[in-house]
Amino acid sequence: MRPRRARARVRLLPIFLVLAGLCLAAIPALAQEQKEVAYRAFPYVGSRLAVWVIAQIHLNFAAFILGVPIFAVIIEFMGWRTGTDREEGRRYDWLAHEFVKLTFAAFSTTALLGGLLLFLLITLYPKFWTYMSQIFAPTMWLYALLFILETFTVYLWYYGWDWLSGSRKWIHLSLGVLANLFGTAILVVSNSWVTFMVSPAGVDETGRFAGTLWQAINNFTWMPLNIHRLIANIVFGGTIAAAYAAFRFLGARSDAERAQFDWMGYVGNFVAISALMVLPFAGYWLGFEIYGFNQTMGITMMGGFMSWLWIVQAILIGVLFLGSNYYLWLGMERIPGSERYRPWIKYLLFVIAVGFMVWATPRTLIVSLEEVRRMGGTYHKMLGVFGVMSAKNTAVNLMILTTFLSYLLYRRANKESTRPWVRAGMAAQWAVLGLAAAIVVGLGVAGYHPKVEPIVRITRLSPLQVLAVLAAIVIVMAIDIPMFKGARSTGAIRWGGIAPRSQYVLILLAVSFTWLMGLMGFARSGIRQHWHIYGVMRDTSPDAVTPALGYAANVITVTTALFLGMVMFIFWLGGLGARHEEPHGVAPAGRALPMAGGADPGSGMP
Amino acid sequence: MTVPVTVRVSVFALAVMGVYTWYANSIPQLESKPPEELSLEGGSVTPEQLVQAGEKIFGEKGQCATCHGIGRAGRGPDLAGVGGRAGTRKPGTSAKAYLVESLLTPSAFVVQGFPDIMPRIDRAPIGLNRSELWATVAYLESLGGAVDVKLEDIPTTAGAQVGGPAAALQLPGDPKAGQVVFTGKGGCFACHKAGAIAGTPLGPDLSNLAGSQTIEYIMGKVLNPASKGVVSGYPPGVMPPTFGKALTAQEYVDLLAFLMTLKGGAAAPPAAPPK
Repeated sequence: MRPRRARARVRLLPIFLVLAGLCLAAIPALAQEQKEVAYRAFPYVGSRLAVWVIAQIHLNFAAFILGVPIFAVIIEFMGWRTGTDREEGRRYDWLAHEFVKLTFAAFSTTALLGGLLLFLLITLYPKFWTYMSQIFAPTMWLYALLFILETFTVYLWYYGWDWLSGSRKWIHLSLGVLANLFGTAILVVSNSWVTFMVSPAGVDETGRFAGTLWQAINNFTWMPLNIHRLIANIVFGGTIAAAYAAFRFLGARSDAERAQFDWMGYVGNFVAISALMVLPFAGYWLGFEIYGFNQTMGITMMGGFMSWLWIVQAILIGVLFLGSNYYLWLGMERIPGSERYRPWIKYLLFVIAVGFMVWATPRTLIVSLEEVRRMGGTYHKMLGVFGVMSAKNTAVNLMILTTFLSYLLYRRANKESTRPWVRAGMAAQWAVLGLAAAIVVGLGVAGYHPKVEPIVRITRLSPLQVLAVLAAIVIVMAIDIPMFKGARSTGAIRWGGIAPRSQYVLILLAVSFTWLMGLMGFARSGIRQHWHIYGVMRDTSPDAVTPALGYAANVITVTTALFLGMVMFIFWLGGLGARHEEPHGVAPAGRALPMAGGADPGSGMP
Repeated sequence: MTVPVTVRVSVFALAVMGVYTWYANSIPQLESKPPEELSLEGGSVTPEQLVQAGEKIFGEKGQCATCHGIGRAGRGPDLAGVGGRAGTRKPGTSAKAYLVESLLTPSAFVVQGFPDIMPRIDRAPIGLNRSELWATVAYLESLGGAVDVKLEDIPTTAGAQVGGPAAALQLPGDPKAGQVVFTGKGGCFACHKAGAIAGTPLGPDLSNLAGSQTIEYIMGKVLNPASKGVVSGYPPGVMPPTFGKALTAQEYVDLLAFLMTLKGGAAAPPAAPPK
């Protein structure tokens, strides 16, 4: 039985609770005793590095355990609506349970790392901690309460899977929804602290906090970061879950097991791509609000000492887009009927590759005087054109449209519509996609016009590009779903028959996204430069220098390797209990059994 | 021999991370260092030194170059020749007054065609002090104009850092007792002149110290001289960093209270006779 498999882990609960209690009890005592001390040094590595590493690993775990339940509950809902008395419904239910199992395994580690981070902050940065707790104390109590509620709700959700089945399934689903609500509340509460450090509100000209708690919470970057992190957590959860499935796929000993984890990997990646497509828009909003809060900070972020960071970011996101698309194209090889669409792949690859290159083009380069003379100015004539935001926004929007097109082809790979209006529907879809691409390119070119001021480009042209792409996705899907409902099948997907290299693509995506999270964490923290709280509390510690990208990259690699190593260990532990479990109704490679999800006609998956 | 999946996956993941790390280490490495305080009070600063200091501030601590080019367009106006045209921007306003206003109340006059985005640069996060504002204005004047700005042209309220203006801080010390420390245990007069108290010119004249510097600066300078930079024209490392240990807390605040009475020209209050 499933609850038994995880029963051993319940032993961690008292340990966690005791530690959490100790943490909470220690706060006032430590803060009071050391109120005169501004900093303490952590041995060997220094305070900043210690806090940086622990905070980043904690954040990775937190993102995972908050992201996965969001799509796990949706998949469980789909299984419930399909009917858990049917094979397809049971498979969805198994998959949802499998995802929650991963979350559950990582839960205690997240809490322990959170406790460790708290201790480090209190002991190494007591003055900073005192200032923050004076403003945010009520939210810290709320955070602890929410964490307790979240923990017990997830426990009940996981352990009650069989108990609350059948006619009581709706109660079980409600627990999943409740766990997500608590999780999201935890996210927004903790975001208020980090965003206050970036864009403090309620502080008077002398740096004294004179506002209300709500002012401090509802600062400039709070809501954009909430949305950005919520979406990013889903992407992250999807990639890690897919990487887990890939790991299990590569180690599978039977076709049935391989098919099971091929499907799981596909769903994880599908979730990640879906959320990834809207993530740049949320990031744009966050950047926009940073400029709104303080132009100097925004300019430092994009055009100052951090400008090269965005080139590295572009490369990572380019890898994510290329990898996601490549996985879909490889996946089409296991779908009978997909041959019709394979000639398209080279064009899709061309657009994504060109978009990638444009996005990764720097605006300025470190050049010698001789090179400046040869170029005829400080900007290279090509870089000067492709290194600006007009080109980059155009490139990323076209990459998103192309990725959507890849998914569309995958989705209909083994389907033949039987609708009489199929030709008109297809024509309308192409027209919408073409129009969206034309709008994106047209607005991008308009951004170069000398009479178009930067503020117009930022507040009007770029959002219109985003709207065109989002509208195209919605309209095309609104046509596609009815057009392929009840479609004729050209054959079932041969789950498990995908090339093993596809599984390394899933691992590449997980590693890249984890590394990207570390990089963005550095960006968010680094834009404060020598301030703990921007413009309010200056960093006067020996670590006040904001390090260069190379040093940051070394730290990010260490944190990513530690995180992935811990995840592998935890998943291995989780897998110990599942050794004797039979795979759940799978369609091994080569057998024509329909499998839920992907391109199967009539499946509930979009 | 079959390589275990765990090993294969781990090697692959490390290789991917290695590529990212290598790339990030191969591009230009730029650090952001905390800006240093510049002090020009009391020193005999030549216009050339002032302009030189201002140019450094323009490119570094002031972050002016992020938006303003000299001879090229930027987010803000091109400042080539600004020293010459500053006096014509607002009728009845001199070049230096216009430049001071531009730095301290940037929204008062915004050049047509540019957004009102410039922050007040004597406030956090940039937070230039009076000396630095003085040098910056001198540098801007030098771009096509004559350098005639004096420290007195910069309002004494400018440059007050986070924590409030200097006047807002009431020291619990006794200025008279502080003067005794200045001429006695502290030995400050050995290097500094202070109003009526004659001192050797080894260090800057402090007669207008409180008129030109904030209390935060003075407190820091006494306790840790190196942290506040070196006054232009004077050798570094001369002022001892030992006052924090040599003076008692009461002597320290008395000394500060005395130094805060030095507001230019006026003779220092007479010292109380030693008991």
